[in-house]
Amino acid sequence: MIDKISSIEKEVKEKIANAKTSVSIEEIRVEFLGKKGKIIDILKNLKSVEETKRKEVATLANKLRVDIENKIEDKKEEIKEKEYENKINNAKKIDLTLPTNLNIGSLHPITIVQKELEEIFESMGFTVEDGNEVETEYNNFEAVNVPKHHPARDMQDTFWLENGQLLKTQTSAAQNKIMKKYGAPLKAIFPGRCFRNEELDASHENTFFQMEGMMIDKDVSIANLIYFMKTLLSEIFKKEVEVRLRPGYFPFVEPGFELDIKCIYCDGKGCKVCKHGGWIELCPCGMIHPNVLKMGGIDPEKYSGFAFGLGLSRLAMMKYGINDLRILNSGDLRALKQMYIK
Amino acid sequence: MFISINWIKDFVDLEGIDVKDLIYKFTMSTAEVEGIVEYGKDTKDVVVGRIVSVENVENYKKLHKLLVDIGNEKINCICGAPNVKEGINVAFAKDGSLVNGIKIKKTDIADHESNGMCLSEKELGISEDHSGIIILDDNIKLGTDIKEVIPIEDVVYEIDNKSLTNRPDLWGHYGIAREIAAITKRDLKPLQVEDLEKYNELKKLDINIEDKDECYRYSAITIDNVTKKVSSYKMKTRLTYCGLRPISLLVDMTNYIMLELGQPMHAFDKDFIKSINVKTLKDKEEFITLDDTKRSLDAGTLMIYNEKNPVAIAGVMGGQNTQITDNTTSLFLESANFNAVTVRKTASKLALRTDASSRYEKTLDPELTKLAVGRFVKVLKQEDSNIKVSSSFSDLYLNKYPNIIIEISREYINKKIGVEFTLDKIVDILTSLKFIVDVKENDLLVINVPTFRATKDISSKADIIEEISRIYGYDNIVPQTNLWKVEPVRKEEIRTLEYGTKKLLAEKFGLSEVHSYVWYDTKLNNELGINTHDNLKIVNGLNRLDSTLRYNMAPTMLYSVYKNIKNYDEFGVFEIGRVFEYTNKNENCKEHKVLGIALSSNFKSEETLLFEAKKMVENVAKIYKNIKLEYVENLHYNDNFIHPVNSFAIKYDNTILGYISLLNPKVRDKINPKSNIVIVELRIDLLADIKNVDVVFNEISRYQTVDFDFSIVVDSNVKYKDIENVIAKSNLSYLQKYTLIDVYENKLKLKDKKNVTIRFTIGSYENTLNKDQIDEERNKLIDTLKQNNMIINV
Repeated sequence: MIDKISSIEKEVKEKIANAKTSVSIEEIRVEFLGKKGKIIDILKNLKSVEETKRKEVATLANKLRVDIENKIEDKKEEIKEKEYENKINNAKKIDLTLPTNLNIGSLHPITIVQKELEEIFESMGFTVEDGNEVETEYNNFEAVNVPKHHPARDMQDTFWLENGQLLKTQTSAAQNKIMKKYGAPLKAIFPGRCFRNEELDASHENTFFQMEGMMIDKDVSIANLIYFMKTLLSEIFKKEVEVRLRPGYFPFVEPGFELDIKCIYCDGKGCKVCKHGGWIELCPCGMIHPNVLKMGGIDPEKYSGFAFGLGLSRLAMMKYGINDLRILNSGDLRALKQMYIK
Repeated sequence: MFISINWIKDFVDLEGIDVKDLIYKFTMSTAEVEGIVEYGKDTKDVVVGRIVSVENVENYKKLHKLLVDIGNEKINCICGAPNVKEGINVAFAKDGSLVNGIKIKKTDIADHESNGMCLSEKELGISEDHSGIIILDDNIKLGTDIKEVIPIEDVVYEIDNKSLTNRPDLWGHYGIAREIAAITKRDLKPLQVEDLEKYNELKKLDINIEDKDECYRYSAITIDNVTKKVSSYKMKTRLTYCGLRPISLLVDMTNYIMLELGQPMHAFDKDFIKSINVKTLKDKEEFITLDDTKRSLDAGTLMIYNEKNPVAIAGVMGGQNTQITDNTTSLFLESANFNAVTVRKTASKLALRTDASSRYEKTLDPELTKLAVGRFVKVLKQEDSNIKVSSSFSDLYLNKYPNIIIEISREYINKKIGVEFTLDKIVDILTSLKFIVDVKENDLLVINVPTFRATKDISSKADIIEEISRIYGYDNIVPQTNLWKVEPVRKEEIRTLEYGTKKLLAEKFGLSEVHSYVWYDTKLNNELGINTHDNLKIVNGLNRLDSTLRYNMAPTMLYSVYKNIKNYDEFGVFEIGRVFEYTNKNENCKEHKVLGIALSSNFKSEETLLFEAKKMVENVAKIYKNIKLEYVENLHYNDNFIHPVNSFAIKYDNTILGYISLLNPKVRDKINPKSNIVIVELRIDLLADIKNVDVVFNEISRYQTVDFDFSIVVDSNVKYKDIENVIAKSNLSYLQKYTLIDVYENKLKLKDKKNVTIRFTIGSYENTLNKDQIDEERNKLIDTLKQNNMIINV
């Protein structure tokens, strides 16, 4: 029996040494240590061993069993390690340069610019308001100091509607409603779509976006307006801008200004964007006309304020270097998809 | 409007002032300058010469060989002008000289050497006249540079008319000169005018104003013995440079005074005028204006009548019947002031905007009429010394503007501008602009507004603030902050929803935002077979076809799909736009904010697309409102592009928020038969109004749950929602959730039935359910389903 044990030992060690795979090592385990395994068999049949040798055989067999168990475990580890090594070494090298489908759509450039501006204004304590697109003649003109038959009506070609309403020509059409809604003091911006009855070309659209703002409080001065616009525009263009005011005539402000910024592309040296003048005409603004305040229910003796208009379409064009205004309303995704999300 | 610096120099000494710098200052203090032209810069070495001999050129009837004496030499040239004559003085451009940029060179004409040319007015650039050469005064020294004889050298700048809308006083050179005097701190020279008082003895003209609100003042004078027919070169040059065509002395005179003072004038042939009446037309009438155009005038048009016949459209244009002709030697000069609104209305109705009407509509100062007559006579005398004034200055001045006095304190001014002005500084500025200022106690200023600013321009303190700050210079104001009250910003729900929706659709679902027009494109509607019904219309659109405002979003979204479909196999577009509801004629329309979506794919099935659209809508509803939407029979939307079977109204509570629909194949095929297209319209404004459902935290059960799948056999027309209703009805005690696993349809095996597999999860929050409890739940569910003809295949 002792011989048998040593021959089993020899056999099993040989087999373990030769085992190559997890499967074959498992087969070895079953062959020798399984329920009917050769080593287990010896232990099960100790009774048949003569009494005197029984203890020695048992000890030997048990020792062999433990020894083989360990060997198998070690071998298993070794094989697993090798198998991982093989797996890793044989892994297919993935070509990560293959393209992915982002499936990102795009926001309209106006939305992007408008959102950016709204965030700046919100951080400065402005309420964001929304106006109508179809307006009454009163709100669009009379309430902003442009009575019927006033020559200033020529400044804006108007789309008139059959019911006497109109497509708003300017965001100022919301001024009256907003003043009546909030009263003074007031800080509000109101972006929106505006319409002019014009033929289309690269720089004229009948449908475009403006953003207008109003700030009304006690003792608001021209010096305050300049300070505010400078701060605001520096924030918008993300750099310190230099501004200048020129007289400009807009019936709802008095005095009215054209605000220019020193060309941000050439620092005022003169380039294509500023038409070599060094300044870019950017936004009309001014001190709100006392009549406009009065019509909005605000006492012009007590309060004053300023208003300003920003051309969102224009700013979007500047931001993305778009040279044809018509692209914005074209619905052409080959153009619009270039503007992404932010 | 064009401003000639030479003309300005008549009134302000600009010695030592750089003209470009001056124009810049004007831009910064008064009005926008659109351009500057330097005239005469490109004309050099044109001199006065005398034709000493004229010879015919053989074989050329029209040509003459001239010998021209230019003082230091005599030059041969060939000239084709009909008015050449021995002994006349001409403007001569010799070989090597420059005429408006063109180099004059020695050349051969008809085999004769020509060493220069005699210039016409057109060639010199002072008028359009090319009928002959310029003939100059006899007494000018030969060889004198033409620039010393005719003021061709000038700087002319153009002001943007829009920026003068509120400044009636700036529609003439004298007003601009006044402004420039204030800007440059120089004196404004008084205007040289004829003393009209000296004609008081002459007969008064018969003038009547019948419509007294329409005509504020009518002044007139008659002048006889006009012998000259053409204006001086100086006058012609100025008119030309300022954009008006010289015509004849009398017409040019009225234009000249208008450009100088801003007061339109009209010269009638005196022979035709007996008595003037200003009144409106009683009936429609046809009238031929002096541009030889027959115009239909409406009743109510303000006219100038001679006795019983209309002779001019007041403030707009004179009539052909009484106009100045070549034979006119006596004129009746009108200098009037009409109601600005009346003139504006007439001019726009006739679509006849004239230099006169565009001035009148700005509300001119009636004081100007007399000044203009005085100036007219003065200047006309300089042009033609033979003229005789033949009537007294006849003047009917019915409506005087009230004198405007504004009281304002220094403190107020300084507060509103944000600059510490001294009293002297303020008074200086206002006085330079011809305001009369009286200083009272406590630095209170009592300001008398000059008449030329008092018609509508200056009426309040804000106007005074503007005057002071613009002349002081906006650039000189130091920016200042102010301690404004800071309040939390209220943000309207809809703005968050709008931006959120846009971001979600673009980022998560890969759609692209587009902007469309708010009116239908009739051509595209026809092309795609989209029907839209009548709605609010634009009445004056440039393209009359496209005048109907949209009442839904889908068509404009489909335009965009149509435009892009050739470039993309699969894409989606969206817009949050306005639609207009116009149900009651002549009432104000209602405006709604609607999200429009269109999805198009060449490989996804219609059903897949429909569910993608549903997913988008539900994402918005879940994320921004935490609500669950329902889909019901679409009874509200019946446009022809909507699919008659597969279109579903989106409902929440009792509100229909919009719909999701396959595109009707009839329209789809027009866009692209290979594409599947789904459209969505969602009332984002209604959605914004819905109250947000609070999120309530459900405790996580510590006890085990049990899952089981039921395969439920139902008729194929049974909706998932029907099954859900039955599940709800079964009133299970421990149902935690259920999830749809699969829907199996197979016409062959199941015929008109389908299998819907749902996984139910049950569990208690108090203990682990035992077998009896679980069986009880299962049986309750099975029984209820069975009662509703839903059979379980276990």
